[in-house]
Amino acid sequence: MAAHEPAVSLENVTCQFKRRRALNGLTLQAERGAVLGIVGPNGAGKTTLVDVLCGFVRPNSGRVSMLGLDAARRPHALRRRIGVLPQETALYAEISAAQNLRFAAALYDVPHARDRIAALLRLVGLAERANDVVRTFSGGMQRRLALARALLHDPELLILDEPTVGIDVDARHAIWEHVRGLRAQGRTVLLTTNYLDEAEALCDRVAMLHDGRLLSDDTPAALIARAGRRLELSCAAADEERLAAFLRANPAVRRHERTAAGFVAYVAEQAAAESVVRQALAIVPLERFQTRAPDLAEIFHAIAPDMAA
Amino acid sequence: MRDARVAWASARLEWQHLGRDRLFLLCTLLAVVNFIVVVSLFGLTGSHAPTALIDEDGGPYARQFVSALEQAHHSFRLEPMSAAAALRALRDGRLVAAITIPAGFSDGAASGAIVPIRVDVDNVDIDLTDDVQRALPSAIVAFGTAIGVSGVHVHAEEHDLLAHDTDYIPYLVVSGLALDALVVAGVLGALVLVRDFEPAAGRVDKLWRLAPVGPAAVLLGRLLAAATVAAVAVGLTFVVVVLGYHVSPRSLPQALGALLACVLIFTCLGGLLGVVVRRTQAVVPLVFGLAMPFYLDSGALEPARLDGERVWQIAHLSPAYYAIGVLERAFHGLQVTPEPVSVDLLVLAGCAAAGLLAAGMAARRGQPR
Repeated sequence: MAAHEPAVSLENVTCQFKRRRALNGLTLQAERGAVLGIVGPNGAGKTTLVDVLCGFVRPNSGRVSMLGLDAARRPHALRRRIGVLPQETALYAEISAAQNLRFAAALYDVPHARDRIAALLRLVGLAERANDVVRTFSGGMQRRLALARALLHDPELLILDEPTVGIDVDARHAIWEHVRGLRAQGRTVLLTTNYLDEAEALCDRVAMLHDGRLLSDDTPAALIARAGRRLELSCAAADEERLAAFLRANPAVRRHERTAAGFVAYVAEQAAAESVVRQALAIVPLERFQTRAPDLAEIFHAIAPDMAA
Repeated sequence: MRDARVAWASARLEWQHLGRDRLFLLCTLLAVVNFIVVVSLFGLTGSHAPTALIDEDGGPYARQFVSALEQAHHSFRLEPMSAAAALRALRDGRLVAAITIPAGFSDGAASGAIVPIRVDVDNVDIDLTDDVQRALPSAIVAFGTAIGVSGVHVHAEEHDLLAHDTDYIPYLVVSGLALDALVVAGVLGALVLVRDFEPAAGRVDKLWRLAPVGPAAVLLGRLLAAATVAAVAVGLTFVVVVLGYHVSPRSLPQALGALLACVLIFTCLGGLLGVVVRRTQAVVPLVFGLAMPFYLDSGALEPARLDGERVWQIAHLSPAYYAIGVLERAFHGLQVTPEPVSVDLLVLAGCAAAGLLAAGMAARRGQPR
């Protein structure tokens, strides 16, 4: 693969299942050595995209290449170079962690499998539990084991399908550490997620999908900036009209909406939010105010208000 | 070589799975032995109908008549008792019939007089009544011939097609082995492949579909593991048949070879069902549901060709038909299918090959959307 060539490249890929078009002319690239996040609401096409990359689904049209190889023509050669952590983990629950990895090692013809398995179990912190039945593992431990399995054959490209869904905060951060480590080793990682903080913490770029199309492909910081900081304000009922008029007139406020608890306003950045609060306090006595980063739904709303509606 | 290593790893994985589920293994072993007991009950219940014998005569001809009754086809299990006890037992459903030899029977028989024999039958089931009606005349003819009564001329001269007789129970238990192989190998073959496709088990098929190997090696390994467990279970039943039922095969290598072939073939067919159905809860009743009609319409109780043309034609759809043909030949030297045993074996091998091929193709297929 040439150095300038992207690790993953989709050109105008369309996948049609009966009447539903899961991917609709999707064009997307992941640079080598980078972490690309794929986000989007349910039904956006994330899972279909992963299935296409894994070779489970053949696109109706378009071209998919990975690591410089055409996915349709060289699937076997690609499989040796790709590691996948499926959303379901795909572990055998009734046998031990080591037995799971031994079977995977046989599938990928991993040399010196015993040493490699021991090293990976140490890496994901499961060396002590190597001979325990997977059924007894927590969700986070199972994800870590599945990650170890995905790394067993030392792949150049890793595809992680919602790697932290349904696991606790500690386990989530442990997985993040592993992904950061992989990035530091120069591996390309493509991960789907529903969590913006995850995308922000791990990804160099984030591709947002909707209805099988690419809505946006940007850095996490740029995406968040497009939606703006979320500023929540509340005041006494008698002051609400004055606060609404202030928000309407303030140029720093991109948009605002009335909620059951008061008002939500979106402003460009943290400094602007603080300035809006100071100005509001000069007009009405605020009962409560707080700011936070927008979530995915809010970013989605900001990028594609028509679609979000 | 690479595929062989993957197949071996796949088989080892399956043995590890089965090794951890000892209750399942125990139940499997119990189930196969139980099937043999069940099919042999067909024979046991039909051939020893409890029948009261009320001998009010007690003379020498009465004793000879009792001996003729005991040797009659569809033999009775005669229980001497009083008339009152017999009537009570008949009404309680503990007897099929009560045969009364009246006082003066011996004198009447000696003088050539007509002696009425009273027979009370529980006609709850026409089959039982028919058995009694069929058995009595043959017993009477045998009795008349034995005592040289003039006027009894019926005599059947038997010319056997085969050099040896095969009792009903030995015939049944061998066909029962075919049922055992069909059920246990079919279920195990299906289960070891279903596991990977179950959504509740995490769609483990993704693991090997992502790997740079074809599904054939993985499937073959799984089926090999299932076949070894099924072979052990059927082997145990074979021991029960030999030691418990005293049915010895005419050729031990042939019998064991035929059993092993049936196990391998039915494992492959089970595997096909597993890959196609992809749900444990559906595939187990499916195998059981197919097994019984396949078994009963396959010459299980007697050669299928003797049950009528249509039944025999339908039997050709059942793999059990060919398996019973092969096994009865190996155990008893019987030719129970009009087709040669080599054809039976060929059809079975064809079914297995087609099953494997279809399973491999189905395994390549992704999750339906």
